[in-house]
Amino acid sequence: MNIKGAVRATWAWLDDRLGVRTVTDFLKHKPIPRNRHTPWMYTGSLVLVFFGIQVLTGIMLAFYYRPTLEEANKSIGEIMTKVPLGWIIRSVHSWSATFMIAIVFIHLLGIWVLKSYRKPREMTWMSGVLLLVFTLAFGFTGYLLPWDALSLAATKVGTDIPRSIPLIGAWGTRFLRGGEDISGDTLSRFFSFHVSVLPLCLLAALALHVYLIQKLGMSLPVGADEEAEARRAIPFWPNFVYREAIVWLVFAGVLVTIAVFLPPTLGKAADLMAPAPEGIKPEWYFLFLFQTLKVFPAKILFITGDTVAVLLILLAAALFFFLPLLDNKPAGRKGKIITILAFLLVVYAVAMSIWSLQTPSKPEADKIVPAPQNIKESTAIYVFLGGIWLSVAVLTYLLRLKIKETDRLLHVGYFSSDRR
Amino acid sequence: MRLKHSLFTRRQFLNGLLGGWLGVLAGLFLYPVLKFIFPPEREPEQVLLPLADYGSLEAGAIKNFAWGRKPGMLKKTAGGELIAFVSVCTHLDCNVAYLPDKKKFFCACHEGWYDENGVNIGGPPPKPLRRLAVTTEGENLVIKPEGAA
Repeated sequence: MNIKGAVRATWAWLDDRLGVRTVTDFLKHKPIPRNRHTPWMYTGSLVLVFFGIQVLTGIMLAFYYRPTLEEANKSIGEIMTKVPLGWIIRSVHSWSATFMIAIVFIHLLGIWVLKSYRKPREMTWMSGVLLLVFTLAFGFTGYLLPWDALSLAATKVGTDIPRSIPLIGAWGTRFLRGGEDISGDTLSRFFSFHVSVLPLCLLAALALHVYLIQKLGMSLPVGADEEAEARRAIPFWPNFVYREAIVWLVFAGVLVTIAVFLPPTLGKAADLMAPAPEGIKPEWYFLFLFQTLKVFPAKILFITGDTVAVLLILLAAALFFFLPLLDNKPAGRKGKIITILAFLLVVYAVAMSIWSLQTPSKPEADKIVPAPQNIKESTAIYVFLGGIWLSVAVLTYLLRLKIKETDRLLHVGYFSSDRR
Repeated sequence: MRLKHSLFTRRQFLNGLLGGWLGVLAGLFLYPVLKFIFPPEREPEQVLLPLADYGSLEAGAIKNFAWGRKPGMLKKTAGGELIAFVSVCTHLDCNVAYLPDKKKFFCACHEGWYDENGVNIGGPPPKPLRRLAVTTEGENLVIKPEGAA
């Protein structure tokens, strides 16, 4: 039997029922603008790639992780020492979280500076802010799960913050902790948030976000000549996907390489009665908030400093969420103040983070430092890394050939709709 | 574009190479994932049972022990010899019970029967119960897989 014919017939059968062609046709005609701002457009899909890696490695870690007071720390220790390659899987999960959050920030900054959130894309921005909140919540809840001294202290501080909010704050803290204090219930709760509540929330917001991006199309930079842009644009499929694929591959290679050489360690199981370790800090993406809370005095006039700080942060978050409604100029107008504001915000966050890093943190004694278990494993890992970087190099070369080819086809009008 | 005697076009060649290499890369990533998901099964090399607890069995009596994650049974035969089984049914992995009044091993899942030496005599079990080797070393009974030195 003719294989090609069979494949084509199966495809036609599926397409008749699923309407796949509607989607592929849409992607073939979705224009991606080509100008000096195009690099920002790689960030969104890159976040998605890292989210996918988080989902896969997260599912794998959950195969062995046990979210109880007695076993949480122990089971992570076993993942790092007993399960084959477990330390690398955990390292990839941890590093991919860092990459994801970093690129989320860059993505956000790009949208902000380009004013892409303006009419009609206000809700795309808002759904994006929700995605940011969920992403940070992922980081916060995931940080407790290894249940060592650092994660306990960070969670104690983090879950205590809502208490500073008048009226509803104490309730918020109890909700997060599952009681007045951190206990095994907090751990179960955080695990549940991390693996079921947040994924559902994030996927819902993501669906809205991606739907809106498809519905509204890519935004053009402020003051762009629409006709010239339309002439220069390339279709998402296949021309742009080949370009994005190169970025994905390179980042995947970098991620795995860093994960192998700088795996996260694991401290001893947290002791609920022990004093907090000296110089504790949250993950890097919370440092600026952490430092903000630290610099507020204990009392401002007659209210506690914490309350003022938390309320200010909440106000800033609200302003941030409603940014498209505050800066509601038509899409074509420039917005210098907004750009300067973004710049100031970045400077503030970086400065506060650096300041917060000035307090030295004590390296913890007897923690598990993962490494290959034997010469066989380390050889395999080096061969693996070599294979990955060889693949990245070759695939980049091939993808560049494909880009040239598809650009040429685009140029001669092969993809234009009237041709069919 | 197709060379004069070529069977395929440049585009087909490039697509094949790209797709093939991506497939290889996917396989390269799949390997550690499978390694992680299927950890090696570790059967114990040996299990030590203190003679003080296990040596004083009466003839025909049974004592349970843990063979790794599986249950094991130590039995003293009528002749006074100590024998050991992995007390897991060879049919579909249920744990079997010893019925002292009938002098038989019984698997409740599908009514499988083994005689007092662990030989399958009734019901679906295809093989006798797995035997383990028993030796005495000082204060302990040493249980090892059969055939291991």
